[in-house]
Amino acid sequence: MRARVAEAWVEAPLQRFVDDARVQFALLLHPSGQVLGQFGFTRAVDVMAACALGAAIHASAGELGKELDGHPFRELYHAGRDRQVFIAEAPTARGALVLLTAFDAESSLGLVQVYFRELRDALQQAAPPAVESGPALDGNFESDLNRSLAVLFGRAQQPAAGPAKSSSPSA
Amino acid sequence: MSTPYTDVLSAVTRQRGVLGCLLVSEADGIIVEANVQVGIEAGVAGALVASLYRRARLGTDAAGLATVGFLQLEAEQGHVCAVGRDGLVLATLAEPKAHIGLIRSAMLRALEVL
Repeated sequence: MRARVAEAWVEAPLQRFVDDARVQFALLLHPSGQVLGQFGFTRAVDVMAACALGAAIHASAGELGKELDGHPFRELYHAGRDRQVFIAEAPTARGALVLLTAFDAESSLGLVQVYFRELRDALQQAAPPAVESGPALDGNFESDLNRSLAVLFGRAQQPAAGPAKSSSPSA
Repeated sequence: MSTPYTDVLSAVTRQRGVLGCLLVSEADGIIVEANVQVGIEAGVAGALVASLYRRARLGTDAAGLATVGFLQLEAEQGHVCAVGRDGLVLATLAEPKAHIGLIRSAMLRALEVL
C-alpha cells in the first residue's frame, strides 16, 4: 500500500517512514488539523477524525508540557492492548508538522523513534521555502481541509508545486 | 551513575574487541542501559537489534526449534551478538578480530544474573 499525500514533497519521506518502521497507520498533519499525507486509512471520515483528535492531543500535550516542564512535550506515546500510538512534531520550513502513527507488535517504539528522526530530517530537507506567513486558521480552512481529503482519496488533483504560507499549507 | 545493570554490562565490555554492550527491552526496543564507544548510536543499534532478536525468537519458535540461545550476526566490519531473557535483550557489538567464544560465554554469564 502506498502513502497518499496532498502535497508531493511529503510523499517520499512518508513512504520511507512507513516502509521502514512497519507501522499500520500514519498521518502527517499541520498542527491546525489539516492533513498533508496518510497511510493505512481507507475512509476520508477516519482521516478527518484522526486529524482532529491528533491536533487536539498535540496542542493539549504542548500546553501541558509548558506547564510542567517549561517546554512542550516533544513526543507522546500511548501503549494500548494491541496497538500503540506515537505522536511527535517535525519542524520544517513550512512550519511544524505533526506525525501521528499507530503500530502493533510488528514494530516497536524504539524503531518508530529511530525512523521518525529520519522522517523529520527528510522533511526538513524536502520542504519548499515558505514565503508568506498567515493565521493558523484562515477563512477558507474548511474548504482547504476538504480539498486535502479529496486529493488524498483521489477525488481531486494535487496542486501545482509552489510557495505556500508557512502556517497554513495550501492543499 | 551506577545502576543494577552496570556491573553486568561491564563484565561484557571488558572483553577484548568489544565496541559496546546494550541492555534493551525486547518489545519496545528501548535502551535500559548502554555502555558503548563514542560514535555508536546506541538508540538506533538497540532498537534494531531488539527487533532482530525478537524476530529470530519468533522464527525459531515457529519452526519448532524452541528459544534462541545465542544470536550472532557477522558483518563486514564486526559482529552483533545477542542473548535474551524475560523480555530483555543483551546485545554486544564487537570488532571483526574479537574472540566471539569469550564474548559468548561472558554474555551467557551476564544473562544468568539479569
